[in-house]
Amino acid sequence: MARGFDVIVVGAGHAGVEAARAAARMGCSVGLCTLSEATVAHMPCNPAIGGTAKGHLVREIDALGGLMGEAIDATGIQFKLLNRSRGPAVRSPRAQADKRRYGAWVAAALRREAGIAWIFGRVGRLVERGGVVAGVELEAGSGAAAGERLHARAVVVTTGTFLNGLVHVGDRRTPAGRAGEPPSHLLAESLKGLGLSWGRLKTGTPPRLDRRSIDFSRFEKALGDEEPVPFSFLTPTIDRPQIVCHQLHTTEQVHEMVQANIARSPLYNGRIEGIGPRYCPSLEDKVMRFPHHERHHVFLEPEGLDVDEVYVNGCSMSLPAEVQEALVHALPGLEDAVMMRPGYAVEYDFVQPTSLARSYEAREVKGLFLAGQVNGTSGYEEAAGQGIIAGINAARAVAGEDPFVLGRDEAYLGVLADDLTTRGCLEPYRMFTSRAEYRLFLRIDNADLRLTERGREVGLVGDRRWARFENRRSRFERNLRRVSGTTVTLRNGRRARASQALRRPDTMLDELTSGGGLRLEVGSGEEQVDVCSVETHFKYAGYLERQAATIDRGRRMEGRRIPRAFSYAGVPGLSLEIVERLSAVQPETLGQALRVPGVTPAAVALIGAKVGGK
Amino acid sequence: MFATDDTIVAIATPPGPGGIGIVRLSGPRASEIAAAILSGPGNLEPRRATLTHALEPSRQRSIDRVLATYFPRPRSYTGEDVVEISGHGSPVVLRRIVESATAAGARLAEPGEFTFRAFLQGRMDLVQAEAIHDLVTAVTPRQARVAFDQLEGTATAAICAVEDALFNVVARLEASLDFPEEGYHFVDAKAAGVEVAELADRVRRLIASSRQGRLIREGCQVAVAGKPNVGKSSLFNVLCGVQRTIVANTAGTTRDLVTETIHLAGIPVTLVDTAGIRATSDAVEAEGVSRARGAVEAASAVVVVVDRSRVLDQDDRVLLRQTEGRSRLVVANKRDLPTAWSAEEQLEVGSGSPLVETCLIDGSSADTIREALLGLLEGKAPGRDPPAISNARHIGLLTSAETALRRAAAAAEGGATEELLLVDLEEARRALEEVTGKRTPDAVLERIFERFCIGK
Ligand SMILES: Cc1cc2nc3c(=O)[nH]c(=O)nc-3n(C[C@H](O)[C@H](O)[C@H](O)COP(=O)(O)OP(=O)(O)OC[C@H]3O[C@@H](n4cnc5c(N)ncnc54)[C@H](O)[C@@H]3O)c2cc1C
Ligand SMILES: Nc1nc2c(ncn2[C@@H]2O[C@H](COP(=O)(O)OP(=O)(O)O)[C@@H](O)[C@H]2O)c(=O)[nH]1
Ligand SMILES: [Mg+2]
Repeated sequence: MARGFDVIVVGAGHAGVEAARAAARMGCSVGLCTLSEATVAHMPCNPAIGGTAKGHLVREIDALGGLMGEAIDATGIQFKLLNRSRGPAVRSPRAQADKRRYGAWVAAALRREAGIAWIFGRVGRLVERGGVVAGVELEAGSGAAAGERLHARAVVVTTGTFLNGLVHVGDRRTPAGRAGEPPSHLLAESLKGLGLSWGRLKTGTPPRLDRRSIDFSRFEKALGDEEPVPFSFLTPTIDRPQIVCHQLHTTEQVHEMVQANIARSPLYNGRIEGIGPRYCPSLEDKVMRFPHHERHHVFLEPEGLDVDEVYVNGCSMSLPAEVQEALVHALPGLEDAVMMRPGYAVEYDFVQPTSLARSYEAREVKGLFLAGQVNGTSGYEEAAGQGIIAGINAARAVAGEDPFVLGRDEAYLGVLADDLTTRGCLEPYRMFTSRAEYRLFLRIDNADLRLTERGREVGLVGDRRWARFENRRSRFERNLRRVSGTTVTLRNGRRARASQALRRPDTMLDELTSGGGLRLEVGSGEEQVDVCSVETHFKYAGYLERQAATIDRGRRMEGRRIPRAFSYAGVPGLSLEIVERLSAVQPETLGQALRVPGVTPAAVALIGAKVGGK
Repeated sequence: MFATDDTIVAIATPPGPGGIGIVRLSGPRASEIAAAILSGPGNLEPRRATLTHALEPSRQRSIDRVLATYFPRPRSYTGEDVVEISGHGSPVVLRRIVESATAAGARLAEPGEFTFRAFLQGRMDLVQAEAIHDLVTAVTPRQARVAFDQLEGTATAAICAVEDALFNVVARLEASLDFPEEGYHFVDAKAAGVEVAELADRVRRLIASSRQGRLIREGCQVAVAGKPNVGKSSLFNVLCGVQRTIVANTAGTTRDLVTETIHLAGIPVTLVDTAGIRATSDAVEAEGVSRARGAVEAASAVVVVVDRSRVLDQDDRVLLRQTEGRSRLVVANKRDLPTAWSAEEQLEVGSGSPLVETCLIDGSSADTIREALLGLLEGKAPGRDPPAISNARHIGLLTSAETALRRAAAAAEGGATEELLLVDLEEARRALEEVTGKRTPDAVLERIFERFCIGK
């Protein structure tokens, strides 16, 4: 008899592991199918988690009860809080990871979940009956369970760059999901039969060098923070010793070499059709598109504590291996470096996420969820952020419950889902703080206040996290009352309400607590979060109020639902182009409709008149 | 709101007899309805003027020989299928063609409906749509000029230029936040604040030009005030060029307000002649005086008339004081008679606003007064006018944009960081974009990537 699960997750990358764990924690039996145990939560590119806006995503995943925050706290080797000189809303944590330990940590965490069964093999087909998912079929001859059919009530596909993946190094083209890993053709064809829309993207990675062949004394050091700020609300402190990275620069000579060999780059000779990310330009792009720049930054980042591979951040390229080697040797200080692996570019098929609802469920196939790079995003954090939401929604679908959708005003996770499903991807999508119009509310210090209760409601937040959170929240509320009720002495000797004093740009909370007579409650190991959330609450009160007013105005539009399968062609006055776009995206609310590219406010007003409500 | 899926018809040329007149059909059935009311030959060829006859509904009799042109969508005025039928300009003929079209299934268009459809189909932006309305209803040639400028996008261009400059600042500030480690120096918050303050000034200038635009579009009220018998009614009549109000030697003759609209260099100006303003015990006159005061309050400018052949008294002085600081022209009248004022009194009257000396028993001072009044209404910058923003909605939005910009500039000076400035700058951007009715998601990131080499 065929095996059956509530939920099958295809792929154990960053999206897949979050999805599998979320669904298992919510009580589902989960089958986790993936190609190899060695590549669980693998980092094929930069061995780092976080960064601007990405760090926010990790905090939110953690606040909901996800894995990523704890995983990086446990295996990070250099931590840094970005944007320290700016306000709390845009500070983001980032850390270099020990890439092997990271994957192993995540795999071990999943092995502890009783509800997850591992299946090593290649899924070749999605089984569907009458627009409803029924399970998956493994490819004949692949892995341990060849040809087997697995039943499931929901399937989450998280296959990253594997669908019809094609790796380029110079003229050499190899069908592969990532260098050295075979691609998924059959699954791609099976999914293409389901009426989703598709596109092709490209991404790339730099060469890796042997650390033993590099004289690091020749470079500038790049250090982490002295006091690392953890990602997870559950991590009190990180006191592991931190590693040092190094910085150097490209030279005119390197640029000339790139120009001389540009015809051999598949990016420039037309062999690559997929569209790459502009925010992550290859070395070829940097040189060709910005010829007036004399030099570009390069960072040398070890991939772990006890591995020899060094990542050459800033030099992603797909030139032939021998040209890459020559380029590396032309970099001052790397004359004798040994290249262990060349950089490469990979092209892959992705599903245009406008085919999905904000729950990540395919609109046309009930029970089919897609998350991660297969939806056109790039980045581990973006993948994990989709994975956890898709996992939650797969579990809810199995239980017959409503989708779990976060708003743009609640979380970066909400911005992510809304952007992807209303706008789609013209290039690989990465999160930026500028994508969040309610940025001042979506901070790392209040991610738990925004989301942990939501995570608890859906059944993802365990008792330990919940107890800790409840303490932290009541402490926060008591602290707010304290600040409002205390009169403090300022540096100039004058007395003022603490809440008023904090509104001045130059008055910080620690000044009031250290000499001004204000006392705050802080939890052990939670001082950072406690102080920051209280300070921000008062310091930015004026701005927060104004942003809150905008949110309220927006809610009216967000609250007006457009019925499923609404006929735009039946709305008088809409241009054909707008009808086409809206029919393709099928926004769920008027607010979303307004964000679909090319849709005018006048058009939304017409739809509003037809939809009714106020 | 209008229905937008049917076919509408209306006379597109201004009312009144003219050389030719155009009947316009727009909507999905435009070509079919045209075929039904024209004598042939069958369907019209796109974009080709065809000589044919417009027929009565019975198709028995011809209404007029016409030229008909079919503009298939989307390259038409409204973006829908459009047929334009040019007939001989008599209103009767054109109306009969319209009747024929409605009998064949078209609906009579509401005012502005063609333009509304054009906006919906994305054929024009909001500013242009509003400008067409203004152009069609323009009374004076200068009104038409301003409306035409807007249609051509001069006003849009001026607003877009500010929007674009603002956008550059926003993009650089956003880049600083999202790419803190690139080693790029995009812009620091303080320096951005200075740029923002300059932008606020630019918006201020647009608003100032808009005052002029509004003047042209909506015109203004000018009250003529002064003691009884100084020559107010005479001045009124000289400006209007007709005998509108009674000029009499008995003080207190003009008891009620008399208004007349004149065109001063293309600006519609409503003149209000008032009862003389003075202390009085007569109940009827007192009512006139209080109305006069009201008119003076409400007017956008005041002309104070003083009789220079009489000594300056308390009533003159009170009125001069009360109107101080207003947009005001002082007319020292009866120049033909010997003056009763001392040099100091002459100075006193002339301080704080332009002064002209006149004789109003004939029209000899008319040009002097017109010129002085025009100078007053237009402010200090006559000559080639800057792009005028002439719509109250635009002025409101520009004003909120300016407020938000000033707030950001002040915050930057006070040491606020990028993400806080951006709250106000985004508000300003939204207001500017609302003027032109355009919205561009992701535009900020576009701008960043096109200019900076970002990413490791
Ligand atoms: C060369 C390269 C360069 C990159 N560069 C960057 C960068 O510069 N910046 C950046 O932010 N991100 C970059 N990324 C992207 C980042 O690595 C991914 O976005 C992220 O890892 C995606 O996570 P995921 O969970 O969606 O998929 P992945 O991590 O790719 O996981 C896919 C999983 O699916 C499994 N799988 C595939 N097919 C099947 C099948 N048929 N049956 C069963 N299992 C299957 C695989 O074994 C794997 O476990 C790069 C990726 C690559 C490959
Ligand atoms: N000599 C002379 N008489 C004038 C002049 N302007 C007006 N008057 C006379 O002054 C009297 C009052 O004029 P009127 O316009 O009715 O004054 P009002 O009461 O202010 O409206 C009339 O007899 C006019 O003829 C002027 O410039 N010179
Ligand atoms: Mg009079």
